[in-house]
Amino acid sequence: MNGTSALIILVAAIFTNNILLSNFLGMCSFLVCSRQVATALGLGAAVIFVMTCTTIINYAAYHWVLKPLGVHDHLYFIVFIAVIAAFVQFIEMFIERFSPSLYHALGIFLPLITVNCAILGAALFMIIRNCSFVQSAGYGFGAGVGWSLAILLMSGLRQKLGYSNVPKAFHGVAIIMIITGVMAAAFMGFAGMVSIQ
Amino acid sequence: MKDNAYTVFYSLVLGVVCAALLTAASIVAEPYKKANARAAEERNILGVLEVPFDQNASAAQLSKTFEKNVRAVERGGQKLYEYAGDDPSRPQAVAVPFAGPGLWGPVKGFLALESDMKTVRSVSFYEQEETPGLGGEIGSAWFQGQFKGKVITDPSGQPGLHVVRGKAAASNEVDGITGATMTCDKVNAMLDKLVKKIIEEQNNHGN
Amino acid sequence: MATDIAAVGGACGAGQCAGKCKKALKDGSWSDNPVCMQILGICSSLAVTNRLENALVMGGALIFTTTLSNLLISLLRNATPRRVRMIAEVAIIATFVIVFDQFLKAFSPQMSKQLGPYVGLIITNCILMGRAEAYALQNSPLPSIVDGAANGLGYAAVLAIIATIRELAGTGKLLGFVVLSSDVYTPNQAMVLAPGAFIILGCIIAAYTALKTKPKEKKA
Repeated sequence: MNGTSALIILVAAIFTNNILLSNFLGMCSFLVCSRQVATALGLGAAVIFVMTCTTIINYAAYHWVLKPLGVHDHLYFIVFIAVIAAFVQFIEMFIERFSPSLYHALGIFLPLITVNCAILGAALFMIIRNCSFVQSAGYGFGAGVGWSLAILLMSGLRQKLGYSNVPKAFHGVAIIMIITGVMAAAFMGFAGMVSIQ
Repeated sequence: MKDNAYTVFYSLVLGVVCAALLTAASIVAEPYKKANARAAEERNILGVLEVPFDQNASAAQLSKTFEKNVRAVERGGQKLYEYAGDDPSRPQAVAVPFAGPGLWGPVKGFLALESDMKTVRSVSFYEQEETPGLGGEIGSAWFQGQFKGKVITDPSGQPGLHVVRGKAAASNEVDGITGATMTCDKVNAMLDKLVKKIIEEQNNHGN
Repeated sequence: MATDIAAVGGACGAGQCAGKCKKALKDGSWSDNPVCMQILGICSSLAVTNRLENALVMGGALIFTTTLSNLLISLLRNATPRRVRMIAEVAIIATFVIVFDQFLKAFSPQMSKQLGPYVGLIITNCILMGRAEAYALQNSPLPSIVDGAANGLGYAAVLAIIATIRELAGTGKLLGFVVLSSDVYTPNQAMVLAPGAFIILGCIIAAYTALKTKPKEKKA
């Protein structure tokens, strides 16, 4: 069992163990939705919410339902995916019912989140690392914030990119990848903060 | 009406077929997974005790080598693995398993001591989930190689095997990893606890 | 009976089939390469390419799962009600991935440990879902198999290239064998860590784009 405090896990998940810059998860939505800061902000907020909630629910499902039944080893993938899909569907219906303006503002973000592999990835990492309930909540929230931070930074950079002279072959995804690589290197530098790593 | 009935029927059939396939795969794989787990453990123990064995040996050969050379004993609540030497009463080396929390996940390993029960033969961190390139270096050859020849007590006789920040000075210290302070602290605590238990066990048994 | 029938794939006459299969093969592996052109499966292309053997196993896993899931989804395309289409696809994909995962755990535990959660994450790999929606649902089984295999091959090829560069530049080894010994070359560890992965993938995509837009100037 892990003795690390949830707060340290949270901070580390944002910086040194960023789910996008260290674990490479959630790239597809990252590439598509990082064109504008407003879009990135909206998607980021949605991801934080969904990731935190589903990580907690998946923890409960794994430890309080699947494990006692003994079927956790081969059924947990499917259960996690089902939980995430159902949760997003439920939230979508809830928002449409109670706040149509918010629903329109979010637009296609919510369905996009279902296919965000970072959400499933966060749950899988939580299981591998044997996190406790509080740690899982901290990790889910931290991973969401970390992902949102990365996409926010990228959107800001991309808006500036329009003024740069990018070589023709690198237009589109290629230059984004290189920028992300530099960001990843920069984030690794946070490991120098003694209290985190 | 008929549509709904068909949808439900289709979903049920698909669900059952998928579940059946998964369960079948799981059942077929189970004995192999158990054998793999045992072979992995034997390989770890043989490696840390520095028992010579063929790296490409099959699981069966591994088991034979293991059975021939290693004896599992229980002493003072601790499970030990002894590598039999020429003298039947004194094993050539003893491996002690340890486990503890790392920064990100559980860390498990073996500490192998020479027959004097004071000098380290080798150490292995065979399971860890630390950050690759930083804390994850505890699984690397250079970090583990440092432990060989170190002792588990400091010059004044106090038990302790330490992972220090910066350069190691004494014969019971090894260099820590830059940028992985927390992981090293946790490993340090783990080894500290283990070594204290070993020394206490020795004192109790007058070994 | 079942009024919700997906678009009809059409009968597969021999000539039509061969042409379709050939096109599927060419598209999947080169002109519509899943990683470089469709920009799918990026997550795993970065995560498992730190070692060539990881990349090869992952490539194999994807060929296996995409081919089989394309086949099954294509076979069921007329029987699947529109409403449960996506869930059915996810269920089929997940089943094949987990079966592969169980067999990997049984027969190659070392690889299973090295690949970690990324085997399970094949389920969310956009390539499988993408091919199911874009091809298998509209085409008959045989071209679907070819499409699945071709996309898997295209993906595996890109992964192999990235992994070769990363492992060689990052550790001097290839498939575990030392190729560039440490006296000749000081390994650049950044290559096997995250930054190297991103940058190399960016360069590969750029190279692919450059190659694709200038085919006439290439002399055989």
